[in-house]
Amino acid sequence: MREQRSRLPGRHSLFWKLAFLLVGFCLLMIGLSWYWGRYVETQNAYLTADARQVLNGYAAEAEQAWRAGGQRGVDRWLQEIRLQEQGWVGVIGHDLQSLSSVPLDDSQMQRLTFMRGVDWPMSRRQKTMPWLKIPFPDLPSAGSLVIELPERFKPGRYALVWQMLTSVVIPALFTLLLCVGLYRLLIRPLNQLREQANAWRADRLSNRLSAQMTSRQDELGELNRAFDHMASRLQSTVQIQQQLLRDLSHELRTPLSRLRVACDSEQSLPELRERLSREVEGMRRLVDDTLHLAWLDAEREKLPDEDIEVLALWDMLVDNACFESCWPSRQLVCDLDSQCWVRGHLNTLAQALENILRNAIRHSPPEGIVRLGGRRDGDDWLLWLEDQGGGVDDSDLERIFAPFIRLDGARPGDGGFGLGLSIARNSLRLQGGDLWAENTAHGLRMIMRLPAREVEAVV
Amino acid sequence: MNPAIIHRPSILAIEDDPVLGAFVHDSLGRCGFHVTWCQNGAEGLERAQREPFDVILMDILLPGMNGLDILSRLRRRHTMPIILMSALGAEADRITGFRNGADDYLPKPFSVDELRVRIEAILRRVELERRFHTPVAAAAAPRPDELRFDEGLCDVSFGRKAAQLTPSEYRLLETLWRNPEDVLSKPFLYQHVLQRGYAQHDRSLDMHISQIRRKLKAIGYEAHQVRTVWGKGYVLTEAEPDA
Repeated sequence: MREQRSRLPGRHSLFWKLAFLLVGFCLLMIGLSWYWGRYVETQNAYLTADARQVLNGYAAEAEQAWRAGGQRGVDRWLQEIRLQEQGWVGVIGHDLQSLSSVPLDDSQMQRLTFMRGVDWPMSRRQKTMPWLKIPFPDLPSAGSLVIELPERFKPGRYALVWQMLTSVVIPALFTLLLCVGLYRLLIRPLNQLREQANAWRADRLSNRLSAQMTSRQDELGELNRAFDHMASRLQSTVQIQQQLLRDLSHELRTPLSRLRVACDSEQSLPELRERLSREVEGMRRLVDDTLHLAWLDAEREKLPDEDIEVLALWDMLVDNACFESCWPSRQLVCDLDSQCWVRGHLNTLAQALENILRNAIRHSPPEGIVRLGGRRDGDDWLLWLEDQGGGVDDSDLERIFAPFIRLDGARPGDGGFGLGLSIARNSLRLQGGDLWAENTAHGLRMIMRLPAREVEAVV
Repeated sequence: MNPAIIHRPSILAIEDDPVLGAFVHDSLGRCGFHVTWCQNGAEGLERAQREPFDVILMDILLPGMNGLDILSRLRRRHTMPIILMSALGAEADRITGFRNGADDYLPKPFSVDELRVRIEAILRRVELERRFHTPVAAAAAPRPDELRFDEGLCDVSFGRKAAQLTPSEYRLLETLWRNPEDVLSKPFLYQHVLQRGYAQHDRSLDMHISQIRRKLKAIGYEAHQVRTVWGKGYVLTEAEPDA
C-alpha cells in the first residue's frame, strides 16, 4: 500500500485516459456539428438544377419575345407568363428600365436594387420571396428577366431533416459509441472482479485474477492487486486456521490420553495429583501458545513500539534461561555493546528472543556456547544467535518456522510443541522485523532484523 | 504477613460457575479472607454498592450483567480494587478491562496461590497508599559507602557518580530499598511501581530490574544487589562475598 498519496493523479492514472477521451470527444463533436451545420445550410440555400433550368428557360423566352416583337412582344409574353407564375415578373433593359409598356413604380425600383443571381445562395432568413435577375442568355447586355422566386422553387425544404441529422442523430450515435468504449474500459474489469468474488462465495479460494489484470498500471490495476492480495491473505488465513485447529487437536490428544491412562492406573493420590497438575500445565501452555500464535497472525496493526537496549534485554533473558536450563551464564555470550538499541514492542520481542534462546540451548551440547552477535545494517540492526547444535538440513531451514513442526531429532514431550519459532517469526514481523535461519560450521544461526532506534542519542 | 490484614479482609466474588465459585470461596476462606459469593451480575453490583469490600473478584462473562459493565458502573462512585478473571485470554479484553478501571486481570485457569498473591499485592498497595509516606531512612545520614537517594531528581548516586535511573527504575529501587531482605512479588511490584496488573508475558518489570542491575554495576555499587527469587519475585539483599 502506498502510504502517502500525491494530490496529482499519477502518470498511469485512469484520470488522464478519461480526460483525453472526453475532452477529445467533446471537441470532435463540436467541430463536426458546426462544420456539417454550415455545409448543410449552404447546400440548402441554392436553387435546384430543375428550378434553374425552368428560370433560364423563361429568360430565353423573354429574349425571344423582345427580339421578335419588341415592347409589344414583351407585353404579350408577360401576359402569358403571368398566367403560370403568381409572383411579379418583368423584363428590364440594361438601363434598369422596363422593356414592357408598363413602367416600374417606386417600390419595384426599390426592390430591383436587391436582386440576386440565379446561382447565388438564397437566404432563408428573408421573409419575402427574393427577386431574381436573369440576363438574356444570348445577348446579356440587351436586357434581363426579373422574376420573384416562385414558391415551389424555394430551397431548403428539407433543412429541418438535415438539421436533425447533423445535430441530433449523428452526435447521439457517436456518444453511444463512446459509452460502449467507456463500458469496456471501466465496467468489464469490475465484472471480472465480481466473477472472482462469486468464485470465493463458492469456496474456490485458490482462484486468482489473471496476470493481465493485476499488471495494469492504473487505478483499476491497483484495485485488482489489492483484491488479489486480499484473496491470498484470506486463503492463507483459512489455511493456517484449519491447520492450527488440526494440529492443536492432535497435540491435545497426547496429554489427554496420558490422563486417561493415569485415571485407569492404580497410582496413589499424591502421584496422581502431581501428574494431573503437570498435564494441566502442559495443556494450558499449549492452548496459550496457540492462541498467541493465532492472535499474532490475525493482528495486522503494528504494535506500539519503544526503544529497547538489547544488552539489558539479553541480561534479563540470560537470567531466566540460566535458571531454566541450569546452564552457567558464561556459556551465553553477548558480543554487543551498549550502543545497540532497537525499536520494538518489549513483550513480544522478549518472547521471540527467549524462544530462540531456549531452542538454541535445547539443541546445544551441555558444554556448548550460545553467542549473540550483531551489526548495524542501514536503518536496521541485524542480530544473530549462534548455537553449536549441529544445525539442520538445508531443506529444513524454512520448515522449522511452521507451527507444530518438530524435526526428527527433537525429543517429543521435552516441553516444546514446535510453536516457539513460529511465534518468534510472527512477533518479529509484526514489529517490522524479520527472522530467518542459516547453517554455520558448528550449528544453526538465527538472524533477526530489527529497526534501529531512530535517534542515536548519547545514553 | 502484613499487620494491617489481621482484620480479615472482605472479598466479594462474582462468579457464575458453581465449581470454580465454590472453589474460590472455600480456598480463599481457608487463607483467612472473608468471602461473599454472588452468582449473578446484577446482584453482585447491588451488593458491591451497598457494602464496603476490600477487594472485588469478578468474572467477565456473567448472567444478568456483563463484568465490564459492572466495572464501569462501579467506577463511577467507588474506588475499591477490582480484579477481573476471565477465560478470554485475549490481549484486547485485558486492555478493555484495564481501561475501564480494573486493578488486575487474571486469566483462567489460575491456581489459588496465584490468586492469593494478587489479592495480597493489591491489599498491600492500598495499605501503603493509606499510610504516611516516610522518606528513605538512608537519606537522613548518607554514608560515603552507601547509595544516596535523591527524591527530587529521581536518581541515586554512589560516590560521585549518578546512576541516571528513569523515574520507574527509581521508584522500583526505592521500593526494594525500603523492604530489604523481603521478597516482593511481581504482582505487588506491578501494582505499586508500575500501577497496573501483572500479566504473564509482560516483561517491563524484568527489563527495569535488568537496567537497575546494569546501572548499579556501572557506578560501582556492589554492597547490595537485586536477586531474582524464582516463581516469587525480587529481593534486595546484601551481596554474598563470593558473588
